[in-house]
Amino acid sequence: MSTSTSNSCPRCRGERTETQYQGKEAGQVIWSVLHCQQCSFSWRDSEPPESISPAKRDPFFNVNPEEVKRYPIVLPPMA
Amino acid sequence: MRGRSQALLDINAHSRLDLTPNQPGQAPDRFWEDCSVEEIPARGSAEKIPNGVQRSSIAVPAKKARQIGSLRDFIQLLTDNQQCIRWTEPVMPEPDIRHIAVAASNDVRGGPAVLFDNIRGYPGRKLIIGVHATWANIALLLGYPKTATIKELFFEMTRRWGAKGAKPELNWIKPEDAPVNEVRIEKAINLYDLIPLTRINEFDGGFYLGKAAVVSRDPRDPEDFNKQNVGIYRLQIHAPDTFSLMTIPAHDIGRQILIAEKENRPFRISVMLGNHPAIAMFAATPLAYDESEFAYASAMMGQPITLTQSGNGLDILAGTEIVIEAELMTGERILEGPFGEFPGSYSGVRRAPVFKVTAVSHRRDPIFESIYIGKGWTEHDTLIGLSTSVPIYSVLKDQFPEIQAVNALYHHGLTGIISLKNRYGGFAKSVALRALSTPHGMMYLKNLIMVDDDVDPFDLNQVMWAISVRTRASDIMVMPNMPMVPIDPAAEVPGKGHHLIIDATSFMAPDPVGPDMKMVNRPTGEHIERLMRQIRKMQENGAQ
Repeated sequence: MSTSTSNSCPRCRGERTETQYQGKEAGQVIWSVLHCQQCSFSWRDSEPPESISPAKRDPFFNVNPEEVKRYPIVLPPMA
Repeated sequence: MRGRSQALLDINAHSRLDLTPNQPGQAPDRFWEDCSVEEIPARGSAEKIPNGVQRSSIAVPAKKARQIGSLRDFIQLLTDNQQCIRWTEPVMPEPDIRHIAVAASNDVRGGPAVLFDNIRGYPGRKLIIGVHATWANIALLLGYPKTATIKELFFEMTRRWGAKGAKPELNWIKPEDAPVNEVRIEKAINLYDLIPLTRINEFDGGFYLGKAAVVSRDPRDPEDFNKQNVGIYRLQIHAPDTFSLMTIPAHDIGRQILIAEKENRPFRISVMLGNHPAIAMFAATPLAYDESEFAYASAMMGQPITLTQSGNGLDILAGTEIVIEAELMTGERILEGPFGEFPGSYSGVRRAPVFKVTAVSHRRDPIFESIYIGKGWTEHDTLIGLSTSVPIYSVLKDQFPEIQAVNALYHHGLTGIISLKNRYGGFAKSVALRALSTPHGMMYLKNLIMVDDDVDPFDLNQVMWAISVRTRASDIMVMPNMPMVPIDPAAEVPGKGHHLIIDATSFMAPDPVGPDMKMVNRPTGEHIERLMRQIRKMQENGAQ
């Protein structure tokens, strides 16, 4: 089982992340689910590195939290 | 109201039908009572018992299909027919479940659903995947032997489509009597505690509910049952009690959200997980805004569906596994995606509406139903393939009785094959243009192949034969800059691109080409199909 080396976000490298859930068996933590409060990425620290390691991930899928506004709003709230 | 798949756009609509459920005290039209599936009334005379299928050969499977009342019933039916396997070895949520789901459904003809009950970190939780992933499973749902051909299932669906105008029967039971309310959670809600979430594709933005049926009501007319929408939308979990819902203004629910926000009305939804298998199959069928998916699914299955009311006032399936009640966080948007979508490519990142979970109800020991969707062939294709083909057939058949069958199985109809009785040179091209102006065809039918009635459009070997010997380069039409599904990676710009018609029909007058050609008379027809069934049966019975 591979684990990420830090709690920073694999997608945007943001540090504002939180552990939302831990999968346990007989009291032992098997994995943790983390969530990035900047880019909304969620991940499990047991996933393959291609999904959760910034060095292994396809950079095409990176998100720059500074550019959030470039992502379309699917239902623009009406005034 | 309009059902849909995970597709980002769905502008389908068809003629309006009276699917009003029977009122209390009103005698229901029990047209299905004590009849086997093949006896459901059909519209007109065009759709007879398909392809000479013997009533006796489908009597038992048809009876068993009518007894399906919930996902659990269907899992049992699949298991009894060796179409569901239980995976008891420990698996990791990623990538194991994804890999096993793909491996099981790679056998599109007869692979099984897979029930996991030993997922690391989710002790005691159950996940099933691939319920609708293979034609054998779809055949059992439609009351056919699991060896039924896709062509047989298509004609069965066209016959049922003809029955959809009949008044369906919907049963309601009290919430306290509904199995879905066996366990109720209103405080400290944590979806991860209950649902073994996994990442469906490796670059998805998070953990998704990919096969959730979402119930909502028109915020301006919340009492109207028929304006209640049931649709399959992708939901991304952002916190133990928060998720986003991907939609657009063209969707029923998108329209409802915009109205609720503009008029500052509360907007509540119920998310059903682990449903009667007809709901996922028929909620993807395009219906008009004021048609009920529940009523439609009931009519199409030829059996009543039992509903109850959720804690937040929506009608839900009484026997569903899990229901999540949630409320729109007005005006809030959150980064959603990407998500591996049905064309086999990832959607982009978007800012989507957010919902807060207010309560959860579930059956004891609930089963979470998931789906693998992505680069085809996947469960998504099998799930909605027939529901995509039949409405196109229905529209065309009304105007062109020459139409024989429509195969729009390929990725929500991005490629379709239509067979017809050719009348004169160029006839097929004109019919193809009409197909492109059907509600679904307008955006989805990107590549359209026209074949004669001596070609089975569901047999790709025959289709390739027709293209090989009957298509000239001058029989290919390209229509540039037409409407297109925005998530189709072949679009020139999202929403716009080129459509293609390949006329692979025979040469007919006034076409001067090939007047000396004489076709080989390949044995075909009912006699050959009867022999095929006989051979299949001999094979199944282990004949030497």
